[in-house]
Amino acid sequence: MAFRNVNRRRHIGLQQLSSLASIGRTLLGPVKSYKFIVDESTSESVLTCSAVRLLESLDLTSAVGQLLNETIQAQNKEYKTGMTTLLFLVGAWSSAVLECLQQNVPFSLIVSVMSEGLNSCSEKVQCLQLSVHDLYKGPDSVPIHFSSSSLGPQIIENKTPGIGANSFLNPLLHILKEVPVSKEESVPEGLHSHQASPCDPHNRCLNSHLCPTDYITPSLVEPVGNKTMPAVPGSSLIVSSYIKRTRLTHSRYFNTPGKKHCSLQVDNFGGPPTGPAACPYEFNDLGQLPMALSHGNQSSMKLVQDIVRCQQQVADHTGSSQFNIAEVVTCCLPGLSEHYSCVCPGYITLVSPEKATVTKQLQDRPLQILLVDGDLTEKYRHLGFNRPSNVRTISENVGLQESSSESLWINCVLDILIQAKVNLILVKGNVCESLMERCILNNILIINPVTLNVLHAFGKGTGVQLVTYLSQVNSYCVGSSVWVDFWRTGDLSTMELDNKVPIGIKAEGIHLVTAVLSSTVTSKMQVTEDQFWTCAYRLHHALTDQKVFPGGGAVELLCLSHLKKLEEQSLKQPDKKPSGDFYMSSCWLTKSLTQYKPVVLKALASGWHQYLSRVMCNTAHYASEFEASASIEHHLKKAADCGSPSAYILKEFNKGDKVMVDFGLSTKPEEAVKIYDNVTPKMEAWRRALDLVLLVLQTDAEIITGPKRNQLLNSHVSSEFIFL
Amino acid sequence: MSRIEAKKPSLCTNDPLTKERVSFSLSVLSGIVKSCYGPTGRLKQLHNGMGGYVRTTSQSSALLGGLSITHPVLKVLTASVQNHISRFSDCGLFTAILCCSLVEKFQRINFAACTVTKISRHLLSLCTDYLKSEACGCRILVDFDSIKTLLSLVRSILASKPACMLNKTEANHLSTLVLKAFLLTIPHTVETNVVLGKCVIVPVKDKRVMDSTVFPGLLIEIPEFQLARTFPVKRVSSSTIKMALFCISLSGDLSNIGEGTVIVHHGISLEVAVLDQLLNLGKQLVNDQVGLVVCQKVIHPSLKQYLKEHRVITIDRVGVSMMEPLSQMTGSQPIAALHSVSPTCYGSLKDLRTESFVSKHFLHLIPNDTLVCSLILCNRNEMAWDELKNACQTAEHVLQLTIKQPLALLGGGCTETHLASYIRHKSFTLPTSVLKTIDCSRTQYQLVADAFCRSLECVACCLAHDDGEILTDMVYGHFWSVQSGFPSDCNWSDLVLKCGCGIYNNQQNLNWTVLRSQCIPFAPQSCSNEPSINSTDHLVLDCFTAKCSGLQVAVETANLILDLSYIVEDQN
Repeated sequence: MAFRNVNRRRHIGLQQLSSLASIGRTLLGPVKSYKFIVDESTSESVLTCSAVRLLESLDLTSAVGQLLNETIQAQNKEYKTGMTTLLFLVGAWSSAVLECLQQNVPFSLIVSVMSEGLNSCSEKVQCLQLSVHDLYKGPDSVPIHFSSSSLGPQIIENKTPGIGANSFLNPLLHILKEVPVSKEESVPEGLHSHQASPCDPHNRCLNSHLCPTDYITPSLVEPVGNKTMPAVPGSSLIVSSYIKRTRLTHSRYFNTPGKKHCSLQVDNFGGPPTGPAACPYEFNDLGQLPMALSHGNQSSMKLVQDIVRCQQQVADHTGSSQFNIAEVVTCCLPGLSEHYSCVCPGYITLVSPEKATVTKQLQDRPLQILLVDGDLTEKYRHLGFNRPSNVRTISENVGLQESSSESLWINCVLDILIQAKVNLILVKGNVCESLMERCILNNILIINPVTLNVLHAFGKGTGVQLVTYLSQVNSYCVGSSVWVDFWRTGDLSTMELDNKVPIGIKAEGIHLVTAVLSSTVTSKMQVTEDQFWTCAYRLHHALTDQKVFPGGGAVELLCLSHLKKLEEQSLKQPDKKPSGDFYMSSCWLTKSLTQYKPVVLKALASGWHQYLSRVMCNTAHYASEFEASASIEHHLKKAADCGSPSAYILKEFNKGDKVMVDFGLSTKPEEAVKIYDNVTPKMEAWRRALDLVLLVLQTDAEIITGPKRNQLLNSHVSSEFIFL
Repeated sequence: MSRIEAKKPSLCTNDPLTKERVSFSLSVLSGIVKSCYGPTGRLKQLHNGMGGYVRTTSQSSALLGGLSITHPVLKVLTASVQNHISRFSDCGLFTAILCCSLVEKFQRINFAACTVTKISRHLLSLCTDYLKSEACGCRILVDFDSIKTLLSLVRSILASKPACMLNKTEANHLSTLVLKAFLLTIPHTVETNVVLGKCVIVPVKDKRVMDSTVFPGLLIEIPEFQLARTFPVKRVSSSTIKMALFCISLSGDLSNIGEGTVIVHHGISLEVAVLDQLLNLGKQLVNDQVGLVVCQKVIHPSLKQYLKEHRVITIDRVGVSMMEPLSQMTGSQPIAALHSVSPTCYGSLKDLRTESFVSKHFLHLIPNDTLVCSLILCNRNEMAWDELKNACQTAEHVLQLTIKQPLALLGGGCTETHLASYIRHKSFTLPTSVLKTIDCSRTQYQLVADAFCRSLECVACCLAHDDGEILTDMVYGHFWSVQSGFPSDCNWSDLVLKCGCGIYNNQQNLNWTVLRSQCIPFAPQSCSNEPSINSTDHLVLDCFTAKCSGLQVAVETANLILDLSYIVEDQN
């Protein structure tokens, strides 16, 4: 066992923490500087601009480094946002605490005053919280990115999605499904108008290819040209399908292989929607909220908005919540231009060319699906199954060989699949190579590996159970009405990427939505995906919290002004009995509280002060931190003069002036979007940052056990340690 | 071919305590435990230096478990402290510090070990007799009619673990929860044999502490997708769900084949045979109208599928720790066989619900008689959660000990200083007849008694980590801390604010003196008729049983270590 004292006057642990955290300074705010992390031994490099990926890629062997990494990962696991704030505040507060130590402030006092100070601030800033409900019910809740397009989303969403979405739920449909498909004539003619789903975005991938000549591509281009925001094809998804409405299509459910290009008449859709579609469909638009939470990642947030729309169309009939982040997956297409990023209902994934051939065979007809939550290999057994080691198989028949057991298994599996008429299998784990080949020959498409949430989304949509072994297959396990097709870009061409082809799988009633992400620069792919998830989670948290903070530094400014007030109070009334807020374990500390309290509160404030000035510098509106700092002081003074700092801050925020920090980056004032911050993730990031700093502060020794002891004994740092 | 090697001779060390290496190691260990003590104790990072898990802690159980100690003398010490912790959970650091300090101080007196042992045993008996007597001035009766004292007891335990990273509100919230959980485990009707229920801690990491809560009954976490598919439950009657509890694996493997080789003919599959057996079992369960099957280990997917198709809910992999509360709560006998399951093994539940809580999903098993409860414990990260879980378990154990013996000792160092004053006073007024039976002189007795008292005071002083000065009053013998470097001519009552346990404040003129200074022995007064005991909200209290045992263990271990004259090590 080796033992090291880390708690001399200059606290080693805090110094480590402060220097580690300082690497994240440029990652703060909407304008981030990318960092290259190069591994000198392998010359491999990673491009990153997020605190999580940065720490993940670093070799953090020290105990403090590991604690920092764990803290960041915990925040990431829980909230997916706020990690950079956390990292920055860890750095700022650890150096502030080091300064307190130099002024001989007792440890326990720092711990107590700082943690109660943060508590007090957290309570104070609650008055700034804005209800999400007020935000998207407001009069100006028109989505800004459609401002110049005549095809406002309200029009589309009020009229059309009902048709398509209803068709999924039509009870007749389920009965008719059981009817052999060749008997198309028996279907009443009138039903077509209900079942057809021309404008449902869910059908876009599937329907578009059926009538390639009728598909109007300009619809994609037109709104893009008018928009001032960067064009994202995904956002015009609904627009394009809307235009298609006046075109024709047919119901795929009554489609027979022989008549597949026989489209129905336009007139069926010309009139006002009838039947189930006639009931008004209220689209609950989130208004400015998503964009205000984008913090500069407008393109990612637009995809999130599209996902919300997609999900709402289905949700309106099933009554589930408006944004279900568990039913969102991403599909990355590295090397493709950003313009191809879009949102597609169903599951989009990349497959090999052989599977693409099978896909070609299977498209345009309803498929039978099987969901497997294990591996598809002979040797696979479920978790918890222990193979006995002492069982030997003997054979009296000389002709049988050991190697035949796999082919026997494959034959057996194929029999099951063919009997159950399965065309499509989604597998969570590995698939035996030769089985895969045989399946391809039999036109059975196997997709693997597929994450569990995708399997469950299909299970929920089609109402089938997942199986672990194919021997479990019965009628409850095979789902029908699943469709597969190639994923197509706006101009309807299919893609091939790095010898892989993107395909789409959909099922009726499925809520799953795939965000197709692309990036020309392959190394930026990870960054793009991270940014997408950050945006998605910001919206998710805002909707779960049902409240947001005004952004742009408003909250931090209020904390600063509140701490200043506390500091002045403690200076003014030094003899005042210690308030209940600052409970001390040791009594004399309570007595000396008044002496040190201003110093510690100042240290706490310096964290947010540095944070604000750093963000202001990073957005390039301020030339130096000094200038930014002067501006903060100016606002603090005005807030103090105003009497009620929170009122002043809210007033400035509502004025729309970029008084504090401009996250929006828009050039035209009329497009200025308010900036909002998440409540819980932000408060938690503060708390976790302070907890880590105080934890390290209170640590006075490192105890190293195990084989490392002998290494240390012989190393040059052995003098720092005591060996027992 | 075997190789024969000559045996190495054993290594014998005489008078191990006089060796420099031993006393150095002992002082390092003593330094570690002393610096961890109390609510402002310093934390230690325990790790392997190679990227392993970093445990930041100040709790004796984690600390002593993490240290790899090789020297036999230190091992004796840590082993007896760990044994104490395993029996009482609390007061581990107290025991370790007192033991180290006694060894150190007794060694300095340099008497024959047997004399010291005899005198210290006598002193120990004086202490325990005093603590157990009605006249004891540093203990209070725990009143189970109000929760105030119980809450103080729990809060004192949680507050003394700084690595839990709780602020005041969180500490109060958790103290209430722990107490609530404990009260749920007490039977409503008291018969001759009272058996307390179980409180199961359900881990929820990475969440806010304030999200923690208590549910009567058992909560078992299930994946979200299972939630939608589990209902409606099959019931025997409107308020009875039949349940089967399995403690063997239902995974369909052949793990209990035993030794030797099993020879199987080609074409016969053991797996299929076992699966058939499992499905037969499933049939029986369905026929017996079982609505819920819980398995400690894994259930075969095919059996799960079969049961699900017959509307039987299955939960597998609940783990061994859940088995006892499950069986206690539902009255079911854990089943350990695949065939001929007796219907008497089945238990029953009143209801089964699902709960969604901080984005996790649970099956809520509601028994007819709620003696089992679940404490959903949240903390922001793994490490702080581990620390908090330990603290909560300690608190629960302390409450159990307190219900057996409804007494509590004053905390915050007051018991130690009070006891030291009492012993000092006693040793001065000891009748000569007693000295004769111990066979020592009065000087010898007083020297050992002084070392003993100083050790007790040393433990109290370890509570101060921020360069404070410790005072004691000459009336009650309580513990008072003041800022160091005060002017010598100032009025004491201006410096002090409250005593360590929080009963007294500076209102009364209590005649303070610096602790460890020579002073006239006095008989400390009792606090038991103090009105503030019931009016003060924030008393610091310690567990009576755990501290008494800690005192005993520390003295006995110190005597044992002092008595070591040879260490014989087998070097092979």
